[in-house]
Amino acid sequence: MQEKNISAHNFEQCQKCAICTTVCPILANNELYPGPKQAGPDGERYRLKNPIFYQDTLKYCLNCKRCEVACPSGVEIGDIIQSAKLEMGKRHHVLRDTMLASTDLMGSVATPIAPLVNATLALKPVKAVMDAVIGVHKGRTLPKYSHVTFEKWFRKNAAAAQEGFRHKVSYFHGCYANYNYPQLGKDFVSVMNALGYGVELLEGEKCCGVAMISAGMLKQARKNAAHNIGVFSKAVAKGNKVLTVSTSCTLTIRDEYPHLLGVDNSEVRDNIQLVEKFLYQQLSSGRIKLVWKEGYKAKAAYHAPCHQEKLGWANFTIELLRMIPGLELTVLDSHCCGIAGTYGFKKENYEVSQKVGKPLFDNIAAVNPDFVACECETCKWQIEMSSGYEVKNPVSILAEALDLEATAKANI
Amino acid sequence: MKFDTVIIGGGLAGYTAAKTLIERGLRCAVITEGLSLKDVPLRSLPCSLFVGDRVLSADVEDGRVLALHTLRLEDEPLEADNYILATGKFFSKGLLVDMDRIYEPIFGLDLDADQDRAKWFSTDFCADQLFLHFGVKNYGGGRVALDGVMLKNLFAAGELLSDISGIEEDADDRIRKSAAEAAANIR
Repeated sequence: MQEKNISAHNFEQCQKCAICTTVCPILANNELYPGPKQAGPDGERYRLKNPIFYQDTLKYCLNCKRCEVACPSGVEIGDIIQSAKLEMGKRHHVLRDTMLASTDLMGSVATPIAPLVNATLALKPVKAVMDAVIGVHKGRTLPKYSHVTFEKWFRKNAAAAQEGFRHKVSYFHGCYANYNYPQLGKDFVSVMNALGYGVELLEGEKCCGVAMISAGMLKQARKNAAHNIGVFSKAVAKGNKVLTVSTSCTLTIRDEYPHLLGVDNSEVRDNIQLVEKFLYQQLSSGRIKLVWKEGYKAKAAYHAPCHQEKLGWANFTIELLRMIPGLELTVLDSHCCGIAGTYGFKKENYEVSQKVGKPLFDNIAAVNPDFVACECETCKWQIEMSSGYEVKNPVSILAEALDLEATAKANI
Repeated sequence: MKFDTVIIGGGLAGYTAAKTLIERGLRCAVITEGLSLKDVPLRSLPCSLFVGDRVLSADVEDGRVLALHTLRLEDEPLEADNYILATGKFFSKGLLVDMDRIYEPIFGLDLDADQDRAKWFSTDFCADQLFLHFGVKNYGGGRVALDGVMLKNLFAAGELLSDISGIEEDADDRIRKSAAEAAANIR
């Protein structure tokens, strides 16, 4: 009897306490969504009997994982919902969702003609057509593409200099740093080099697949996952840690690969870390030293992305930022910004997405910082568009606040 | 990561203990597997919060807790001068039950609990069930023991203690009081 009760994602641990419903950002803002308890463990009881009980309203889950963080019984509620969606969900806006999710493909096409793409996508009539034809909401500011990818910049300008470092790290830059904002990758290289680490690219990383998972593109997501595990294994075999700058890529690679895609990552998982955790640990064990710029002064508000809450590593970033002498840091109330990757781009989710984020935007306005610190690129798009405040990745803040030359001398 | 005090459990007891210590100027961390059903504004505490994390094991030497190892922090231990354990009873897994034993899973603390399964409950549904009074043995002020040896820097608070049962009418007051007593042990 017990054997028949073993189901995935800690499903049977649910004690029906309903605490998850109190933290779901969608339940409070979209009456069509049944909430994490019903969409998750409650609905799963029926779906296990017969998939006919699958409800299409599960598509409103934004996979923020706040239900999982709140669950006192360790039920992976978000995983239950996402798995059901992947297994039983119908794909609605196939063209749009494929376009939004295929970040590698779209990036490769867009970057060579980036100025043209950026100018076109900013035009109101173009936005209106996209809204009507493919279902990307016209109110959304679309992320800009870079003319030169990070990888291209790195090979031309930085790769050679990395040979001189004794210690190396591998860098999973992700799609955002590569196609949209190479400055983040450049900041990563400057900081790591100053600390005495050479940076190596992975041997052909692919998109982590987070957007494919939410678009229901199971086959493509599995393919990317299997490919990435292969390139991580090569880096780890060389003795490198694989460092990341995006919380969602990190959570996807470490947890969603095995939980949702069934791709085994146990050989490499421990070696894949957010750069903030890595730096904090190197610092506290005395292996690296930081020298700060004199006269650096700024007021920052830290927003922990939902996937950072799930990783459980926000305190590494907070502690690291608190070390910056001239930085006045406020930690914002933990609140979803509403975008959830591609979720907030979709026409049917736009209004809810903005409602979800409102308390966060108000919180930021009340603090009135010089900028918001945050490790997630899609939070950055949402917060910049909706609050008007600039958002910086902590790595970029470190690159600004560090005296890079003096730090390099201190870490020889 | 190092703190003055690490509080395990973010329910009413853990929250109250943390609030008391923070007001006294101590650098605290609260680690909790989930949020509490009781209405406690845990997220408003000005301290380091580790929500959605779980203590997997503890290093204990010569009656002192040296460090905690957690699910999410992996190779980064949580260290502190003092620790407060406020993990509650069965629902919140402060106490675990196998077919033939009841135990406190993180440290294996000494319990007030009859290990004879037949005595755990009464078949009279309305009777005062014995298992509701099981818990970590309180040596006064939340002091606890491990294999008969008193621990120097670990104190228990709230429903985890055998002398507090959550279903009693004055339970919340008694939980708060036990948290204040545990906090008072920390200098």
